Amino acid sequence: MVALQTLIDGLILGGVFSLAAVGFSLIFGVLGIVNLTHGIFVVAGAYIALLLWSGLGLDPLVGIPVIMVVLFATGYVYQRTIIQWATERATVVASLLVTFGVALVMRNILQLIFSSDIRSISPSYSFVSFSLGDLRIDAVRVAGLTTSLVLLTVLTLFLSRTSFGRMIRATAQQPLAAGLSGINVPHVYGLTFALGAAFAGASGAVIGIVAPFSPATEAIWTLNAFVVVVLGGVGSPAGALLGGLLLGVINTMTAQYIGPSFTNATMFLVLVLMLLVRPQGLMGNAFGESR
Amino acid sequence: MRPLSLKPLLALVVGVAAVAVFTGLPAILPPFYIRVLQVFFFSAGLALSWGLLGGFAGYWSFGHTAFIGIGGFTAALVSSHLLGGGGTGWGMVVTVGAGGLVAALFALVLAYPLLRLRGIYFAIAMLGVGEVFSELSSSIDWIGGGLGLTLPAGTDLDIAPEVFYYYVFLVLMVAILLISAATKLSRFGYGLMSIREDEDTARMLGVPTERYKIQAFVLSAFLVGTLGAVYAYSLGYFSTPSLFRVDFSLNMIVHNMIGGIGTIAGPVIGAAIMVFLTNVVLGSFLSVHLLLTGALVVLIVLLAPTGLLGLAARLWQRDPPEEEPTSPTRERERRLTNEPAE
Repeated sequence: MVALQTLIDGLILGGVFSLAAVGFSLIFGVLGIVNLTHGIFVVAGAYIALLLWSGLGLDPLVGIPVIMVVLFATGYVYQRTIIQWATERATVVASLLVTFGVALVMRNILQLIFSSDIRSISPSYSFVSFSLGDLRIDAVRVAGLTTSLVLLTVLTLFLSRTSFGRMIRATAQQPLAAGLSGINVPHVYGLTFALGAAFAGASGAVIGIVAPFSPATEAIWTLNAFVVVVLGGVGSPAGALLGGLLLGVINTMTAQYIGPSFTNATMFLVLVLMLLVRPQGLMGNAFGESR
Repeated sequence: MRPLSLKPLLALVVGVAAVAVFTGLPAILPPFYIRVLQVFFFSAGLALSWGLLGGFAGYWSFGHTAFIGIGGFTAALVSSHLLGGGGTGWGMVVTVGAGGLVAALFALVLAYPLLRLRGIYFAIAMLGVGEVFSELSSSIDWIGGGLGLTLPAGTDLDIAPEVFYYYVFLVLMVAILLISAATKLSRFGYGLMSIREDEDTARMLGVPTERYKIQAFVLSAFLVGTLGAVYAYSLGYFSTPSLFRVDFSLNMIVHNMIGGIGTIAGPVIGAAIMVFLTNVVLGSFLSVHLLLTGALVVLIVLLAPTGLLGLAARLWQRDPPEEEPTSPTRERERRLTNEPAE
């Protein structure tokens, strides 16, 4: 029974991990950039949700569109300026350092604005939970999981069905050929980055209601996203979902059976093993055919 | 680095003069500046050790602080379990040596799996390694990083502790500087640099890439472990967060980038600038410390991607900066994303 409860908790947590990682995965898959600012987008989303909730009384899940618009705009500007400059002038590894530097700046700014205190958002349904037999499930977590799944489905459909999604996939596969076919590649890079940022922000709203957050937690979300991508594979929402669910289960199982202070250690052990055994992730690279 | 190999005499004169000045400085400096210089020697030593693998071979480790921790914890455990709380004088040589050796041993074990990864994947795997060792050191009761460990004073001579560690770190930094320079000019060093430029080609041309990478990794870990053990001594009492610090890992990279990656003088210059800036100039702006460090990192990557040495060379136009790897962009991208060759 405990095992089943742990498994379900893990899957629910994993759904949130998936949403938090999908933007990172998209940016990594299309632009080839490991965006260490990712956690900042997540935490920024959570803080915007907090502001909307405390200022206007807007439910965090209802506020998601607003958050996504704000982060979409921020992400586009950020990519077209700093990140584009860095990749043009230096190597891709240097972009790792630039995003790290920006993450430090932003974390400090968030600390100055919101203080380092650990915050959380508790809407009316926070303490509601229902039971299935002996299993206990919190309402917020179900709401969070549902939101995650809906958003991941939307992104999947967007990438596979719309013409803009096709542009993104084409650019990921062959930037040069895409450019020759009339696609404005820098613009698509900017929009893809913006899309990744928007989904990170949306996940921040979900995280705000299921888990406490502070500016310093951004590092955890960046690392989580990386692990999810390594587990599931680069570039596809399905890979992020699989990786996220796995990570969630690994997390709760470790906490239950080994000890709560070993979750990160297990996570990285799995990460390193996975990199060695199957570096392309379980689902492979969604844009892999021609890379 | 071309300037050093072309002007070895100049480098020697500057080096000897600098060592002479640094040897005499504690007599006239107030304790605060002795400590700042001590931090500078420590940071420069770390940056140089990181550069053996990151600068020469192009394998950027984002988790080298793991070896600082392993070195420090080993020294303290050897002191308390084997020396009965001793470890002063010659005992310190034993504990610090043990710290370096255990760090090297761990590196040897990690090297086989980890050095198969390239680019970003190696960087992140090392970040993970740092995290795992950090958590284990605080969660395993036998190690005791959660509660903290103590080390005795390093010496029983009648000398102020900051002056004693000043000299220890100075000696270590000079030793590491010489090791780096010797490596850079050796066959081994050229092998490492060929790995950085194009590992597959290097291997095809008969460079024992696997062995060289492992040797560089183990040497780098040994030096960082030694520095970490001495750093633990200089703290006296330490716990997991005082040694396993992500900012240590980051600083090693930043100091290299500021000065110039793959050079000998670069990491030292980078460490000097950053330590002076963060300890002396920005000492009173603690709340925006992260912001300023981050902004500086961004500026350097954008304005001087080859570091200050590269920038200086470009400005003076005397020694053109070292060319970027000449491999085609696609080739480089493939390496960075760790995908198998077509």
